[in-house]
Amino acid sequence: MKSRILLATSSSLMTLGATLVFSLVAMAQNAPGVYAIKGAKVYTLAGPPIQNGIVVIRDAKIAVIGANAEIPAGAQVIDASGLEVYPGLFDPVTQIGLDEVSAVGATVDVSELGNYNPDIVAATAVNPASAHIPVTRASGITHVVAAPGASGFDSPGGGVITGQASAFNLAGWTMDEMQIKRSVAMVINWPTMETRSFDFATFSVQEKPFEEAKKDYDKKINEISDWLDRARHYAQVKEKGSPTNYERDLKLEALVPVVEGKLPVIVIAARAREIHSAVDFFAKQSIHMVLADGADAWKVKDLLKDKKIPVILGPTLREPHEEDAAYDREMTQPAELQAAGIPIAFSSFGAGFSRRLSQYAGTAVAYGLPHDEALKAVTINAAQMLGISDQVGTIEPGKLGNLIVTDGDPLEIKTQVRYLFIKGQLTSLENRHHQLYEEYRNRPQLVH
Amino acid sequence: MPDTQRGLRPSLFHLLLAFAALAALIGMSRGAFGEGGEPRYFAITNARIMTAAGAPIDGGTVVVAKGLIQAVGTNVTIPPEAWVIDGKGMTVYPGLIDAGTNIGLQEEETPGPVSGGRGAARRSMTPSGPIPMGPEDRPGTTPWRVAADEFKTDDKRIETWRDAGFTTVLSAPDSGIFPGQGSIIDLGGDRSGDFVVKPSATLQVSFRPAGGFFGFPDSLMGTIAYVRQMLDDASWYAQSEPIYDANPTKNERLPYDRAERTISQALAAKETVILPANNSVQILRGLRLADEWKIPAALYGGQQGYAVAEAIAAKNVPVIVGLKWPERPKDADPEGEQTLRELRFRDRAPGTPAAFVKAGVKFAFSSDGLAGPKDISKNLKKSLDAGLTPDAALRAFTKDAADILGVGDRLGTIETGKIANLVVTDGDIFNEKTKVKDVFVDGRLYQVHAETPSEKPHGGDDKPNRASASPAADRGTSTARVNR
Amino acid sequence: MNTSGLFLALGSLLLAAVPASAQNSNTILIRNATVLTVTHGNIEHGSILIRDGKIAGVGADVKAPDGATVIDATGQFVIPGIVDCHSHIAVDGSVNEGGPSVSSMARIPDVLNPVDISIYRDLAGGVTEANVLHGSANSIGGQTVVIKLRWGKPADQLPMEGAMPGIKFALGENPKRSNFDPPPGVPRRYPGTRMGVEETIRQAFTGAREYKKQWDDYSQRKAAGEANLIPPRRNVTLDPLVEVLEGKRYVHAHSYRADEIAMLMRVANEFGFKVRTFQHVLEGYKIADELALSGSGASTFSDWWAYKMEAYDAIPYNAALMTQRGVVVSVNSDDAEEATHLNQEAAKSMKYGGLSPNDALKLVTLNPAIQLGIDTRVGSIDVGKDADLAIYNRDPLSVYAVVQKTLIDGQVYFDRDRDIAQRASLEKEKQDLIDKEKKAAESEKKKPQEQGKKPEPKKKGGKPETSDGQVSAGGAL
Repeated sequence: MKSRILLATSSSLMTLGATLVFSLVAMAQNAPGVYAIKGAKVYTLAGPPIQNGIVVIRDAKIAVIGANAEIPAGAQVIDASGLEVYPGLFDPVTQIGLDEVSAVGATVDVSELGNYNPDIVAATAVNPASAHIPVTRASGITHVVAAPGASGFDSPGGGVITGQASAFNLAGWTMDEMQIKRSVAMVINWPTMETRSFDFATFSVQEKPFEEAKKDYDKKINEISDWLDRARHYAQVKEKGSPTNYERDLKLEALVPVVEGKLPVIVIAARAREIHSAVDFFAKQSIHMVLADGADAWKVKDLLKDKKIPVILGPTLREPHEEDAAYDREMTQPAELQAAGIPIAFSSFGAGFSRRLSQYAGTAVAYGLPHDEALKAVTINAAQMLGISDQVGTIEPGKLGNLIVTDGDPLEIKTQVRYLFIKGQLTSLENRHHQLYEEYRNRPQLVH
Repeated sequence: MPDTQRGLRPSLFHLLLAFAALAALIGMSRGAFGEGGEPRYFAITNARIMTAAGAPIDGGTVVVAKGLIQAVGTNVTIPPEAWVIDGKGMTVYPGLIDAGTNIGLQEEETPGPVSGGRGAARRSMTPSGPIPMGPEDRPGTTPWRVAADEFKTDDKRIETWRDAGFTTVLSAPDSGIFPGQGSIIDLGGDRSGDFVVKPSATLQVSFRPAGGFFGFPDSLMGTIAYVRQMLDDASWYAQSEPIYDANPTKNERLPYDRAERTISQALAAKETVILPANNSVQILRGLRLADEWKIPAALYGGQQGYAVAEAIAAKNVPVIVGLKWPERPKDADPEGEQTLRELRFRDRAPGTPAAFVKAGVKFAFSSDGLAGPKDISKNLKKSLDAGLTPDAALRAFTKDAADILGVGDRLGTIETGKIANLVVTDGDIFNEKTKVKDVFVDGRLYQVHAETPSEKPHGGDDKPNRASASPAADRGTSTARVNR
Repeated sequence: MNTSGLFLALGSLLLAAVPASAQNSNTILIRNATVLTVTHGNIEHGSILIRDGKIAGVGADVKAPDGATVIDATGQFVIPGIVDCHSHIAVDGSVNEGGPSVSSMARIPDVLNPVDISIYRDLAGGVTEANVLHGSANSIGGQTVVIKLRWGKPADQLPMEGAMPGIKFALGENPKRSNFDPPPGVPRRYPGTRMGVEETIRQAFTGAREYKKQWDDYSQRKAAGEANLIPPRRNVTLDPLVEVLEGKRYVHAHSYRADEIAMLMRVANEFGFKVRTFQHVLEGYKIADELALSGSGASTFSDWWAYKMEAYDAIPYNAALMTQRGVVVSVNSDDAEEATHLNQEAAKSMKYGGLSPNDALKLVTLNPAIQLGIDTRVGSIDVGKDADLAIYNRDPLSVYAVVQKTLIDGQVYFDRDRDIAQRASLEKEKQDLIDKEKKAAESEKKKPQEQGKKPEPKKKGGKPETSDGQVSAGGAL
C-alpha cells in the first residue's frame, strides 16, 4: 500500500517534471536549426582562444568558427558580447536518468542483481524525463555517460561486470534522439580486498581474516578471466563455426566487442593494489581499459604512465581515505597525474551532484592543475578516452553543436551559463529548481 | 529409677559418647577424618627478603604461622613446629597480584555491537531477547553477579598462575554495562569459598553499548548516559529507602529494583569502581566522569597513560594497566592502513608504567587477554626495557595492587600480620631465567617443580610434593592440601 | 598526548622563525591583507592586531607594536573563521543513540574525540567553530555542543566557553525510518509517520512538564519545612527537555518538508519555547515568511538534493530566497569533507539567487554565529571579538581560493606551509616505526619455540580493544 502511494506520488511528480521539460524542450526544438554566436571569446580547446569570434551552428553540428566567419542568411544571431563560448561540459561517469530519488528504490535503476550482467545497457533505463536532466544541463553539462553499477553518493553500486554505459545528450524527446553512443564502454567494478563489510541483511559487521579476503579476491578475478575467455571462444564459434553448432548467449555476445578490442572497458578501482592488479590483468588480456575512481592512482602513477592508462577521477571533493594522508591529497592528485603525463578527466559518479563537475575541476586548479588542462578534463579528455571525440569535446567543424555561452570562467562558482546548445539546438535553461524558485519567489508576502 | 530423676544426671557413658562425637566433629573441621598433617608453620631462613614495605632484608627469615606472617627479620624466633626451608641463595617476594582476570569464571560471549578485532566474525548486532528501548529496561545490568559466587576451582589457570608466583588475582564477570562485582581470589584452597579473600571488592563498569543495533544503548554516549542514570537511581534509592522505611505511611511505597539496591550497597561499602579507559581520550574522559559521579574509581587499561600521566596523578586516581600491549593484528592485511597514531601508541605504550612512576600515579597490572604468565613476563620485560625499575614493577604487582583493590591492610607486603602469600625464587623474579621454587598461598606451601617433557599423572604419594600440571584430584581423600 | 606534543614541537618551530628579539606570541599582527570584516565592509591593505586571543585593532593603519609576531598577509584575504552550524566531527563512537525515539539522555559533550583527523581537515578548510550535533535517528535526539576546533588540545578544551548548549530534534523520513527495513526479528519503532513524530515530541514535553512540576512541588514542600519527603527521581532524559522549556538549551531541528517545519513551530509554541534553528530545512523557501516571523534561524545545504523523497524539492536558491525574505540563514556541511570548502558553498548563493558577496560570506560566518548565540564572540572581524580568522590566498568566494592559515583565539592552528614542510618528517617517523616493528617481529620469530601448549587466550571484554587498529590510541571505541 505504502509503496503504491509512493509510486503514485513520485510518478505524479515525474509527470510534473516531465510536463515542464516537455514544454521547455518543445520551445527549444521548434527553433531554427541555424545559429550564429557572435562577439564572444571562443575557447575551442583545439587551438588558442579566438577573441571576438563567431561560431556558426547548422544541422545539429558546428559548421564554421572564426573571427571573420560568415553568418549565413536566416541564422538566429546570438549577441554574446562580453561572454565566453566553450565546448559543452561532459560528465563521463554518472547515474543521470537511472537514479531519480536515491532512497526510493522504485526510482533507481543503477545496479542490476547478480555479479555478471554484461548484456544490460544503461540507455534502456535512462528516463528522458528525469528532473536531473534539465537541472544538470543548466550548469553547462551538455552530455553525460550513465554507468550501470557504479556507486556514488547518490546510490550504492554493485556487481562485477555491471553492464554497458551509454553516452547521451542532455536534451531530446526520446533516448533515440538523445543518444550519442548507446554502448560506449563496458563497466567493471574491480573486486576489492575488503576484510570488513556491513551486511544489511542481518545487520551485522562481517569480518574475515586477510587470507580469506585475498582468496575471495583472487577467485573473483579468475571469474572475470573465465568470462572473457568464454567470450573469446563464443566469438570464435560464432564466426568460424557452423550456425547449428552454437546456442546464442546474450551475455557472452555482449562481451565479444570487449575481447575484440572494439569496446573500451571502464574499470572502477580505488586502492593501489587493486588498480595495479586491474592494470596488469587487462594488459595480459590485451584489452584497453580506462581507470575510473582512481583514488590511489598517484601511488601507481608510473605504472599508469607506462601502460598508458587514462583516469576518470572520482569527485575531487572527497576525503582522503587514509588518516595520515596529506589533507589535500584528493585535491592535488589531478595536477600530479596530469604532470606525469597521464590523461585525466573529472566526473561526479552521481546524479544530483553532477552539477558540481566544474567545482571539482576548479578546486583541482586551485591546487596546481593548469587551468587549460582542467578545461580539457571536463570536455575533450573523457571524449577521447571513450572514443566519441569525433563528435564532442571541442569546438571544431563537424562536431556536434554542444556548446555553452557563459558570463565568465566556467570553472568559477558564480559563473552563469547564458546560452546552452545541445545537438545544435538552443536549449532552455529552465529546470525544476529554477521553476520552484520562481514559484515561491512570487508567493505573496505574508501580511502580519 | 523414674524418668524424671534420670534426666537430671546423665550417665558417664553418655558423656563419653557425646565427647567422642564432638571430637570427631572438631576433627572433621580440621581436615578429612583425622588428617592432621597439613603443615601450618614454616620458616624460610637466610634468604633475601623483598618486603615491598621497605629496604630488602638480606640473610633474613620469614615465619609463617596458620596462614599469616608471624615474623620477618634477621633475628626472629622460629617456632618448633616450623618446617624450615633453607633460603640460602633464594629471594622471597610477596605473592604477585594480577589485578584483572576472569580466572575461575566461564568465558562469556560479549553481547552487543561488534567493536572490531579478531573473533568478532559474524557477530550479530541484534541481541537475543527483547530489545531494550530505554534506561528503565536495565540493559546489560547485572551488578549482583559476584565472581566469588561463580568461581570454579577447576580452572587450570589457577595452577599456571600460581606456579609463576601469582598468589592473588582480581577476578570479575564481564558481560554488559554493569557486569557485576569483582572478587579478590587467592590461588589456593579446597572449596571455592576458601579461595576468596574479599567477595565484593570492585564494582565493574563497561562502556560497551549493550543494546545491539536499534536497541538501547547502541552508542557510547548512550551507554555513558545510562551509567549516569543508573548511578543517579542508586543514589536516589540510598536516599529514599531509609526515609520510606522510617515513614511508611507518609510516602507511596518504593518499587524493588535489584540493580539500585545492589549498586547503592556497593557504593556504600566503598567498593572501587572499575572504569575502562585505555587511550588518552578515554582516560581523560574517565577522570572527568569519576569526578562528576563522585565515585572511587580505578581506571582499567590505561595503556596510553604515558601521554596523560600528570593529569591522572592530579586526580589521584589509580590505574590497572593492561599488560597486553597493543600490537598489529596477526591476520591483518599486510598492505592495510597503519596510522601514525596507532604506530606511536604501539611503540610508546610499554613506557606507560615508567611514566606513571615518574608522575606519581599508583598502578597495578592486569593480564587481561594474555595467554599466561610467560606472556605476562614477556610483556613486562618491554616495560622494564622502557625504564620501569624492578622495584617499581614489584610494587605494582604487590603493595600497590593490594592498596588499589582495598586489601592493602592484609595483603601485598611481607610484614607481620599480613596474609602469608609468598614466592620463593632462585633469583630476580623479573628475570626470565629465574625459577620459582615455592609458593605460599594463605600460608599453605605449594612447591613448584620444573616442567617435565610429558605430563605425569598425579601419583598417590605420601610425600606431599608433586605440584605439577595434573588436574585436581578428588578432594576428600588426598593426602595433603599441598598436592593441589 | 602525541598530537599535542607534536603541536608543541611545531609551535616552537613557528616561533623559531620569528627573530629572537621579537617573541611575544600573545601579540600578533596580520599585515596588509584584504580584510573582509563582514560587518563593516572590506578593507584593502588592512591589518588586524591580536592581543591575548582577541582582536585589538582592525584597519588600514593598524601597526605592529614592539615585540609582536608579524604574519605577512600581503595579497591575501582574511575572513572571520567559518562557523559550521551542522557538524558531526570529533565524536567518539556513533553520532546516533538510535534505540529509543527520545534519546535526550545522550550527550555529545560526553564523547568528544579531540584526535579526530576531521578536526584538522576542517581547520584546513577555514572552519574555526562547529556545532557538533547528535544524528537524526530520533524525533528528539541527544544533547549538542559548540566547539572551537582547537586541534591538539584535550577534549575538555574543545567546547566553546559560554556557548549555549543545544539539543537535536529530527523530523521526517529519518526518525520515522521509512527508507530501510529493520533487521530480522526487530520490530519497527514508533513513530512511523510524521504525525507520530509530532506526538513523540508532544509526549516527551508533556512528560518534561510533569517532571518539572514534581520537582517544583517537592522543593516547595521541603522549603516549607516538611520532613521525611522522598524526592522525585532525577531523570537524565527529561532534564534537558526541562532546560528547553526554561530557555536554557537551544533546539536544533533537522527538518525538510515545509509542513513539518510548520508543525514544529506550532508544537514549540504550544509548550512555550522557540526552535533556535531548523537544520537542512530544504523546503524552508516555501514558508520563508513564516520562518522569518518565527525568529528561528535556518541552516541549510548549498545544493544537495534528490537523495531522499523529502529532498526532492530542494533547490540551490533556498539560502538566497530565505535571506531575501528576512530569515537568518546559514549554509552548513553535515559532513566532515563538505566542511572543508564551505567558502565555495557559500559562494553558490551568488549564482543561485543573486546574493551579494558579503551576504554570501555571512552565510558561513556571522549568520551561523548569530544562530548559535555566539555572535558577540565570533562571526566577524570586529575589535573585541575572538581572533578566530581564516586567511586565504585569494578571494574566498572563488573556487580557486586556498586556506593559508587558520587562527583560533589568536593562535595559528593550521598553517599550510608548515603542514607541507612537515610531511617528509612525519613520513619518515612513520616508516621508522614500521621498520622497528618489523625488526622486532622478525627477531621474535627467531626465538626458540615455547615449550608446552598455550591455553586459549581468555579475552575479557571489560577493557576496550587495543590490539586491532580500530580502537587503539585516541580512536573511536
